[in-house]
Amino acid sequence: MARIVYFFLLLVMSCSNLYALVQAKFSVDNLPEHFMSYHATDKMNYIGKELYDYINGGAELYLSYGLASMTGCKYIGDNDLPQVTVEIYEMTSSFNAFGVYTQSRDKEEQDYGQGSQSFPDFILFWKDRYFVIVNTMEVTSESEKAIKYLAGLIDKSIPETGKIPPITRCLPEEGLVSAGFLYFHHYIWLNAYFFIADYDIININEKTDAILAKYGDANARSYLLIVEYPDEKEAMEACEHLRKKYAPELSATNFIVELEDETWFTVWIQGNKLGAIFNGSSRKQTEKLFKDTINNM
Amino acid sequence: MKKLITRRDLLKKAAFMAVGGTVLLNRPVSAWAWAKGKDAKSKVILIRNRQLFAGEEQPDATIAAQMLDEAVCALTGKNTVKEAWASIIKPADIVGIKTNVWNKFPTPEIMNDILKERVLQTGVSEDNVNVNDRGVLKDPVFQKATALINVRPMRTHAWSGVGSCIKNYIMFSPQPSSYHDDSCASLATLYELPIVKNKTRLHVLVMFKPLFHHRTAQDASEEYMWKYSGLIVGFDPVAVDSVGLRIIQGKRNAFFQEDRPLNPPAKHIELADTRYHLGTADPAKIELVKLGWEEESFV
Repeated sequence: MARIVYFFLLLVMSCSNLYALVQAKFSVDNLPEHFMSYHATDKMNYIGKELYDYINGGAELYLSYGLASMTGCKYIGDNDLPQVTVEIYEMTSSFNAFGVYTQSRDKEEQDYGQGSQSFPDFILFWKDRYFVIVNTMEVTSESEKAIKYLAGLIDKSIPETGKIPPITRCLPEEGLVSAGFLYFHHYIWLNAYFFIADYDIININEKTDAILAKYGDANARSYLLIVEYPDEKEAMEACEHLRKKYAPELSATNFIVELEDETWFTVWIQGNKLGAIFNGSSRKQTEKLFKDTINNM
Repeated sequence: MKKLITRRDLLKKAAFMAVGGTVLLNRPVSAWAWAKGKDAKSKVILIRNRQLFAGEEQPDATIAAQMLDEAVCALTGKNTVKEAWASIIKPADIVGIKTNVWNKFPTPEIMNDILKERVLQTGVSEDNVNVNDRGVLKDPVFQKATALINVRPMRTHAWSGVGSCIKNYIMFSPQPSSYHDDSCASLATLYELPIVKNKTRLHVLVMFKPLFHHRTAQDASEEYMWKYSGLIVGFDPVAVDSVGLRIIQGKRNAFFQEDRPLNPPAKHIELADTRYHLGTADPAKIELVKLGWEEESFV
């Protein structure tokens, strides 16, 4: 029996090593020592919570998405060119890289990787399980060219593309605000667009996939929340907890309720998924968004 | 016991409560009325001077000093700067000025210098005053300090919502990350640490050019700063932060032309009031004295 267990362990270990080998990995060695008039000065590598040493509390954003490591490099240029910094966050999955990206975007562009945002001082994008930031301390024509060059180089150095979380397919397209949804699985981000509760009211954790989306114009904004649980029982418990704490008057016959601020609310489950609409502008609008969502769930 | 709050709880309260304002809802509702029954208000001074930058990128040191002096006089109710500071710091005090050195958005050096100068003018010896941030725990002045002054600039933060006066004391903890749980909900408890407790004499939230938005955790882009040209000064760090937070929220909504709450919300400010009773975050319980430039003050 002991021999069987031993061989089983060997098999598991060799499989996981093989997995690590075949999994395409970006290496800090892909970053150039010199380019244009810039020279690498400070190469960085932080594993997991070591990231506190680099950005202290800000590290929690990445840790909440399952940060594996961060590699990066600072570049100084000749003739007092502004410093350029590269940060490459390797997440545990492409879903999480995509999630961090959804935290950062105000617009949606496709110049780099699988989704990007470019500013004169700043480029960020995601690709495979990597979230990449290239920025300069000060915008000059040289530093702007430098960040574009590095972003392009890193994009090409990441050979694979990654999958987007399937839960995003539940979002109805009609009325969805451009770049207006967030993928997450830490309850802190439940309030990203709209204050819902100051605690984990629906038991969001690393085993749940959650998406929060903005619908409608700024003056009539609704928020759609969809959470996928490991099983239907957990979804049902979360739904019941939210109903009791948020809208106890909600029932099978009174399925969409008006709140004190004249907005509309509903929560439901379908299989192992919970859906909720906050801040609906009318019963009709809330009902339509509900129906559109149900069709996608 | 922790009081857990939902949006619905706040809406229900708002339906029959006096109008005030909240950290969490970004709209005029009193969220704290049930938690506090005291009549006393926390006095906070907001002073602005539109000449602070006078077309330059750096603030004018003379104007900054005048702003601080005027604010401290208004806060203490004293007629002269000397009297005002004498009511805050005694010559025998050992004074630590807790600054913030984050390289992308530090406390302006002129504020450290002005504060140190004012402390020295009260008669405190040069050896008994120091400015520090990340080295406070090893700094002999801070180790034996009898008085602290808290000064830092206002900015958004990727995990705590904002970095302001309450959060500035995190370096007094030997393990700052131990305060990160629940988006830094318990930051107010830093004020119970022996090296800090009952020592803070003044909080100065620098609003010269606040950072009202960030794209990533390390971002401090000029694009998301504006020359507000202000200082917020008070004895109550929660009230000071609460006023600063309203200004940041107002700017975000104006800039993005939609309700754009902080992500995550700066709930540590609200909890510093309702859970930890460090001070008051309720605008209805803050005596806000506004001095100087009024335009687009957002409060």
